[in-house]
Amino acid sequence: MHNKTLKEVTVNGKNIQIARAALPEQLKTEEEISTLNATNVADVAKHFSGVTVKDYGGIGGLKTISVRGLGAAHTGICYDGVLMSDMQTGQVDLSQFSIENISGVFLFNGQPNDILQPARMFSSASVLSFSTQMPDYDAKHTLSGHIALKAGSFGMYNPSFLFAKNLSEKIGISISANGEKANGKYNFLSNINPQGHNYIEKTRENSDVTSLRTEQNLIYRIRKNEFISLKNNQYYSERGLPGADIFYSTSATTDRLRDKNFFSQIQYENKVSGYLQYLFSAKYSSLNSKFTEINPNYSTLPNEMRIDNFAQHEYYLTSAVQYRPNTNFAFSSSLDWSRNDLFSNSNISFVADASPVRNTGLANFAGKYINERLTIGANMLYTLCYETSQTGTPSPNKYKWTPTVSISYKLFNQKEIRIRAFYKNIFRLPTFTDLYYHDFGYKDLRPEYTKQFNVGFTYIEPKPLFFNELECSIDGYYNRITDKITVVYGMPFSTVRNIGLVDIKGCDLNLKLGKALNKRINIQLNLNYSLQFTEDKDKNSVTFGSSLPYTPNNSGSASLSIRYMKLELGYNLLYAGTRNTGSINTSTLKPKLMTPYGDHNIYCKYSLGKFSINGEILNVSNTNYSIVDYYPMPGRNYRLSVNYKF
Amino acid sequence: MLITTVSPFLTSCDSGKDTQVKTPEVSAGVFVLNEGQFEKNNASLTYYDFTTGFGSNDIFLDKNNRGLGDTGQDMIKYGSKLYIAVYGSNTIEVVDAASGISLKSFSLQSPRSLTAANGKVYIVQFDGHVAQMDTTTYAIDKTIAVGPGPNKSVIANAKLYVANSGSFAAKDSTISVINLSTFSETKKIVVNLNPYGEMQADSYGNVYIVSNGNYSNIPGKFQRIEAGTDKVTDINIPVQGFVIEGDNAYIFNYSVDFSTWQAAAGTSTITVYDVKNEKKLNDNIITSSSVELTPYSIAVNPITKDIYLGTTDYSTKGKMYCFDSTGKSKFSFSTGISPSKTVFISKK
Repeated sequence: MHNKTLKEVTVNGKNIQIARAALPEQLKTEEEISTLNATNVADVAKHFSGVTVKDYGGIGGLKTISVRGLGAAHTGICYDGVLMSDMQTGQVDLSQFSIENISGVFLFNGQPNDILQPARMFSSASVLSFSTQMPDYDAKHTLSGHIALKAGSFGMYNPSFLFAKNLSEKIGISISANGEKANGKYNFLSNINPQGHNYIEKTRENSDVTSLRTEQNLIYRIRKNEFISLKNNQYYSERGLPGADIFYSTSATTDRLRDKNFFSQIQYENKVSGYLQYLFSAKYSSLNSKFTEINPNYSTLPNEMRIDNFAQHEYYLTSAVQYRPNTNFAFSSSLDWSRNDLFSNSNISFVADASPVRNTGLANFAGKYINERLTIGANMLYTLCYETSQTGTPSPNKYKWTPTVSISYKLFNQKEIRIRAFYKNIFRLPTFTDLYYHDFGYKDLRPEYTKQFNVGFTYIEPKPLFFNELECSIDGYYNRITDKITVVYGMPFSTVRNIGLVDIKGCDLNLKLGKALNKRINIQLNLNYSLQFTEDKDKNSVTFGSSLPYTPNNSGSASLSIRYMKLELGYNLLYAGTRNTGSINTSTLKPKLMTPYGDHNIYCKYSLGKFSINGEILNVSNTNYSIVDYYPMPGRNYRLSVNYKF
Repeated sequence: MLITTVSPFLTSCDSGKDTQVKTPEVSAGVFVLNEGQFEKNNASLTYYDFTTGFGSNDIFLDKNNRGLGDTGQDMIKYGSKLYIAVYGSNTIEVVDAASGISLKSFSLQSPRSLTAANGKVYIVQFDGHVAQMDTTTYAIDKTIAVGPGPNKSVIANAKLYVANSGSFAAKDSTISVINLSTFSETKKIVVNLNPYGEMQADSYGNVYIVSNGNYSNIPGKFQRIEAGTDKVTDINIPVQGFVIEGDNAYIFNYSVDFSTWQAAAGTSTITVYDVKNEKKLNDNIITSSSVELTPYSIAVNPITKDIYLGTTDYSTKGKMYCFDSTGKSKFSFSTGISPSKTVFISKK
């Protein structure tokens, strides 16, 4: 729950921690998040370099992130120190996580630099981590929090609150809730001539969402740097799934998805001693989803309704210990165990429920050397995976050792310019859907491997000429995916195989500038740009020689905020260049490409004491675009929010 | 005159320009309906002209300034028009066969297959119906219930036979027999489980159907329903798809490469079966190594007796191979994804 590193990062107002990081880190603080025209964590992630968000549109649409072309299943999603997992699909839908209580969002390429972590934190190709913060004890101010009400286009209402109370120096509790409702009916232009222009105006139907997330936290501070924390989190949502925009369709889809999720996690952390530090965590989570579809084609079912039910459970334990013999060396060892199961039940399935159970053990051994100029890190992760299934033979057991090495070096004594490099070899296990539940699952799927190589520079200028703040970084990388788990189509149904050898080369640039004028005006500018080339090199792959779908060569974002006393104005731009859809253009028989788009957003915020009011205009230019082909994004729309902070 | 390979088709208009397209006019050639991929809106209509050797990758898009839609399921030529069932878009397109221009387009739930007789087009709908459409008014006169899950259909013995494969929930194993003059179902013939595959009739009134079983312990079958007696017998030949021309059934088959889920290289065959004498004439008439992708459909040009084998990889490409009636390679051309139906146009 307490990502304490957030407090340690700013030394003399500069992000030294991030500059020293051997594995690239990007951070959006709570203040920066408030300037991004964001409502959920996916909106924040769109502003990190190297990130492609696959946004299926609408307020309740699925949003997943892929880092440096590796795919959503390779991105670990971490909430308050514990990695979330979805063994069924391998992806976590980030639209579920509102930014209301979030105190910071980190993106780590490879893994976090802090080696006192659960082993699971070393087991993804990249990690997106977001956390909440319990206020420290202050005798004069024990109750804090906020109440917010947001409303916007398409019938959107989003009330939320947070109450955090420090009952004593030792005990603190907080409760929060975030509810959202929207009808999601937005107009868009459907181009029925993919070769040219022939637009018809349509309305997005069956795109409504109702959701509620509630959370309760308790912290018991045993002494300074030693605490136990407990979190319970509940999530409910019911939404329509509008599906792809199909030409000439006259009726809306009837697909609906209801999610009921719950998790509970308890953490113990002890950093009292400078030599020996440790943490233990335990987590239980339960994800239940129900999918329904009414279709005349299901004429033999009651009410012509198809019902698919899925229930996933996870039990997770982790322990990690770090030994620091002196200020330069640190060694850590972590041990994780998790048990994941999935039950499914459908009134149309002709394949019996496999009821897989996966036990995963992870052991990580890490070492680090740090001095003023040099940081070297290395770790070895051991993964053991054991699976059982109720029907037939389960997927075979897997045992793997995978390493990571990293280095960062300050080139000059006087200047904060560092060169850094890392290499990481990691894999992801096939999901339950891949193995057992696709039209035809395939139990002999091998894990999908990624190798990442990165070389980069970071530069922090503590006393820049014109600005108050100047930070930049540039990283060049080469990633290789082998045994890519790919859906293959055939008759009568589709299935999954390990086909695909993908080469990804790219470069991520980040620039952060700050300027204070007259002591009353503050200007912040964040820019990032990503260049990326992907190529499928597997001769057996149907996309051999093509670039990966939805990985644009050029993409970037810009974020500008200007604060003058009580008033704040901001502008955000998200840009993606031409990208491949994976489909073909029927006239040329060449790969179908999507045109570049720019998503412009602006806001104006006024603060008066504890109140603030924020008006936003999103997609200011009313651009008709989509991120995923035939999943249109809304045109110009509006949001207004009122926030009371205490 | 043999043409071994075909130059790439003339490309259509540059994206962004609304200029008229340089597509050759239709004279003698072949239309290929390409299914496209589910929910990708990339069904298309290929036209290949015999005289010039050129054509259009998507003549429907060229001539109508709009795409064909999602999942082009079936196409027939009746009179001077092409009728196209676009399953994913739930539409029927009536297209002038001489130009490729759509004369009428209307919504109809889940159209799967088309047959025609006596000025009517019969549209099988997967939700369990057959609709009778008048070809002069384009109106649906009448709809009857069959099913569940009716897929392919064929007219023989002045009757309409519709194969009920079952819905997604439960597989069926019947063929609905419909009297065309009353347009009502008169009986159901029981065949093997899940008759989802190809269905054709010979000139003697026998109906042939491919069933898929339950994809595990109940295998698929190739069966004949005898004209008059409605007796069902098994034909012991593995069939992925087939077409009947005269007394010959041309049957294509292949082995699946388990690692790619496509046809294993060099295993695609065309078997010839004599429907009159009920015996196999030839195990394989083509050079299997010449077929690169997975076979998807087969047709025979009624005038030249050339065999057209449509092949695909299901997601990015398609190719049509033309063989003469002895199986010798003639030429090939690119098509869209999953060429599902081939229709021949002769010179006026």
